[in-house]
Amino acid sequence: MSSDLIFLKRRIINAVALLLSACAAVLGLAFLAWILWTTLSKGIAAFSPTLFTQMTPPPGEAGGLANALFGSLMMCLLATAIGTPIGIAAGTFVAEYADRHWVGTTIRFVNDILLSAPSIVLGLFVYTLVVRPMGGFSGFAGALALAFIVLPVVVRTTDDMLKLVPSQMREAALSLGIPQWKVTLQILYRAAAPGIVTGVLLALARISGETAPLLFTALNNQYWSSDMSEPIASAPVVIFQYAMSPFEDWHALAWAGAFIITVFVLALSLFARLVLLRKRVAHD
Amino acid sequence: MTELRTAVAARDAGPTTTTKMAVRRLNFHYGNFHAIKDVSLDIPEKRVTAMIGPSGCGKSTLLRVFNRIYSIYPGQKASGEALLDGENILDARYSVNRLRAKVGMVFQKPVPFPMSIHDNIAYGIKHYERLNKAEMAERVEQALRQAALWDEVKDKLKQSANGLSGGQQQRLCIARAIALKPDVLLLDEPTSALDPIATGRIEQLIAELRNDFTIVIVTHNMQQAARCSDFTAFMYLGELIEHGVTEQIFTQPKVQRTEDYITGRFG
Repeated sequence: MSSDLIFLKRRIINAVALLLSACAAVLGLAFLAWILWTTLSKGIAAFSPTLFTQMTPPPGEAGGLANALFGSLMMCLLATAIGTPIGIAAGTFVAEYADRHWVGTTIRFVNDILLSAPSIVLGLFVYTLVVRPMGGFSGFAGALALAFIVLPVVVRTTDDMLKLVPSQMREAALSLGIPQWKVTLQILYRAAAPGIVTGVLLALARISGETAPLLFTALNNQYWSSDMSEPIASAPVVIFQYAMSPFEDWHALAWAGAFIITVFVLALSLFARLVLLRKRVAHD
Repeated sequence: MTELRTAVAARDAGPTTTTKMAVRRLNFHYGNFHAIKDVSLDIPEKRVTAMIGPSGCGKSTLLRVFNRIYSIYPGQKASGEALLDGENILDARYSVNRLRAKVGMVFQKPVPFPMSIHDNIAYGIKHYERLNKAEMAERVEQALRQAALWDEVKDKLKQSANGLSGGQQQRLCIARAIALKPDVLLLDEPTSALDPIATGRIEQLIAELRNDFTIVIVTHNMQQAARCSDFTAFMYLGELIEHGVTEQIFTQPKVQRTEDYITGRFG
């Protein structure tokens, strides 16, 4: 009799726990869906192909986001180009050469701090270190600030992905008498590549929406500029500026910008998934 | 035990051989843990030496000394002598890559590299020799034939090695090791992850390979040691308890502890 009671009690506890966690999941997802829905509905309403061809307008005039999108693209690509090689090299050092050594542990710890550093702090850092000595805001400074966001993400993913490669594979490759650097480049990177590529794509997705580090590095620019040594517009900063303004048509442009960034991030995430998925198909 | 004894008696160990590898008063430490204690052992050329003993007895550790693969982990230290053709391989001046070119290793879990079947074999060869495409194809085929895998994979050499079954993957790993034409082949429990049929094929393969290579095999399976080895070393708690011709170890062990282990009284 008492054992029946235990099972009944366990079933009730199970049901309650399940209900609570389901509620938590629904709560989280509901807000996400709401945010997405608002962005999509307002964004699509304001969307037009001229967004990609016209410059950011003064209040009351028609215009687009061409200069802002181009500036964002330039800075994000440059930031990824700077952060990726350094991040992969550092992640490789930590995972393969200094794993259980205090140097590696320290780098990992500092990298985790950088990973969670508020992005506005990184912007201030670059402002003090680059913008002030150089005597002005620039696209380069903006890209550098974004690179500081890319870097720890890539270090972390490279480190994690290399550690997922079974140690037997290292041993098997080293047992052939092949030096460690060659084993790392030709075997371990190959095994870890889909994960590392995913990390880089997710870092790119993350910086494409960053505003704070660009506010006092790249500043903004109302006109078309492809000169990275000058202030340059970016989609998040323009969204920030336009959304805070009292003008209706600027609001619409801000929603359109938010919509474009959201779709871009979504596409990148899906692509990253696809890369991982293809790996699974090829190797399992 | 009768099965074991017939299996052992059926084969001639041929005890007159030269020593290929040897350890002299070898000690091994994992940090503070003393894993191998003063072990001296000869590995005869072109023979199969099996190392048996309960888990944690140091047999795998000893195997990992023979190609110094232990040295990639900090905190693992071997002292004493380990000889290959009379040279001390533990000497820092002995190039570890030269050593590993001569002493190949196959592990418990088959780990094909993330590339095609062909490239798995060619990868190691490329590191040592410059061959054109046709020569390489020939070498790859030769290694796969030696590992008794050729007929199963000849039509899918370009496919990923991860598509092979566990037993095929293990034979691929053996092919990868023997493609470099090493003198010694170290097998660390090569069949413990395989089913009995795949195990049988690997054992058959070992019997063929013993004509060309000096083989050291670590195994938990005593029938396997009896079936495929010429010499057997029994280790217990980091010490070498007994070493001799397999037939003698399994039929007339000199030490009581060896007899207890092979008859299943402990272990």
